[in-house]
Amino acid sequence: MVKYKWPILGVLFVGFATVPVWGSEYVLLFCLLYCLYLAMSQMWNLLAGYTSLLSLGQQAFIGFSGYAVAVLTNYYGVYIWLSVLIGGFFSVLLALFMSLFIFRMRGIYFAIGTWIFAEMLLLWFSNWKYVKYGTGLFIKPPHPPSMTTIYYASLIMGAGATAAIYIILRSKIGLGLMAMRDDEDVSEAMGVEIFRSKLFCFMVGSFITGLTAGVLYVFQIFIQPYKAFAIDWTVILVFIVIIGGIGTIEGPIVGTFIYVLLSQWLAEYAHISLLLLGIIAITIILLAPTGIMGTLHQKTGFAILSPRRL
Amino acid sequence: MPDEIALKVSNLDVHYKDFQALWNVFLEAQKGEIVSVIGANGAGKSTLLNTIAGLLAPTQGAIECLGEKIDGLPPYKIVPIGITLVPEGRRIFPRLTVYENLIMGSYTPRTRSSRNEALKKIYQLFPVLKDRHNQMGDTLSGGEQQMLAIGRALMSNPKLILCDEISLGLAPVVIKSIYGRLRQINQEGITIVLVEQDIKRSLKVANRAYIMLEGKMVLEGEPSSISEEQVRKAYFGI
Repeated sequence: MVKYKWPILGVLFVGFATVPVWGSEYVLLFCLLYCLYLAMSQMWNLLAGYTSLLSLGQQAFIGFSGYAVAVLTNYYGVYIWLSVLIGGFFSVLLALFMSLFIFRMRGIYFAIGTWIFAEMLLLWFSNWKYVKYGTGLFIKPPHPPSMTTIYYASLIMGAGATAAIYIILRSKIGLGLMAMRDDEDVSEAMGVEIFRSKLFCFMVGSFITGLTAGVLYVFQIFIQPYKAFAIDWTVILVFIVIIGGIGTIEGPIVGTFIYVLLSQWLAEYAHISLLLLGIIAITIILLAPTGIMGTLHQKTGFAILSPRRL
Repeated sequence: MPDEIALKVSNLDVHYKDFQALWNVFLEAQKGEIVSVIGANGAGKSTLLNTIAGLLAPTQGAIECLGEKIDGLPPYKIVPIGITLVPEGRRIFPRLTVYENLIMGSYTPRTRSSRNEALKKIYQLFPVLKDRHNQMGDTLSGGEQQMLAIGRALMSNPKLILCDEISLGLAPVVIKSIYGRLRQINQEGITIVLVEQDIKRSLKVANRAYIMLEGKMVLEGEPSSISEEQVRKAYFGI
């Protein structure tokens, strides 16, 4: 299996890259959502799965960057993809500001700290005249990009985020991150600079999450604080990473597929969709506590994107 | 040569928030010595080692290693100077392979260049690690994990290793073999500071011993000069 790693990944990528050619509109939409959720869940995986930064505030970056895109295109007429890039940098600035406060906290306190930041942003934006309070903003670029263009942007995010986490884990600091995941104190004793490593991952996570959210809002064309800063985002990312397998690169790839498939299917049962999602999550956690890919790896040693060194 | 000082701890105070764990602690190890620190649970032995390794910052006192002042430095600066810790309870990385665990021992940039030589040496010392180099850390037996923890500490080419309770939870045969290896490591000129509950064994290998009681050093001397009564007093207060 591992021998055929690059051919398999190559075929997958070519398959995704040619969706606009062979796929129906529905398949294109499905793959677009898949890529966007994949990028964001990989980043949550990088934070929670490797650096034990249990962030419940990813929606802060999603909303902040989304609003940056809306304001820049609407009020300043900035070129749409440039504003997405700037949105990513705004997201990093927010992460830097947040880190001044939340990096003094650990574990569950860190989680609550990040969530509180997102809630504060929600209150701020929903009471801010400049962004039209809770009514929200339309993202109206003078030349709206085509669906195909948006799809390629999201493909870049999905593939890019997965490549980024793979490269980080294979790099010199990657082994340190995996050691931190296993035992923070001992990895510190071995000479890992815990604070720097965590801050680095937090910055990378906020940047890619912000960029992805920018693409998402270019696609959705409407942003509203109660949706953009809602905890629901993080709940979805947690769901994806936990059922896929936390602390593995393959986990979010599988988990995102299951989530997007389910969310499409469950849309028909909107009134009980959350209940069904919850039941599915609990069942998987009970049957496979380390997630689908984590359990598969323990049982069969299967890993296609393993950061292992030999 | 034998008179060179590898480690000198003086007047060390360490606090956990408001609680003072170490009071005016001193310790000295000559180059090439095995120094044993014994004492009851909670006497502060692990705190002492963790402070030397840089995981805790002392509130007062000085730690000198090979002429360099290291108190208050973080571990990533202390490891390259040549001090490593074999933590209590082995604490290997369970989801990393044996090889990756070892590589983690030479994580700091300055220790990276000599990685391959160190690895060769460790595989000679513990052949079982070579056989299992591709296995996950948590699939090893207790004894093998302890060997891995010692091997990991040796990866940075240390001049001084701090061993915290290396016999904890291991079978007597395994303990004997690990102590044999420890002597071998020591013969190559590496200074060892040993913290142990297993008093008899650690006094047997040590050149000098210290006894700790309630965060203070109460006795220092050659192992032969320490009487059973003195040890009993340190442990039980009688």
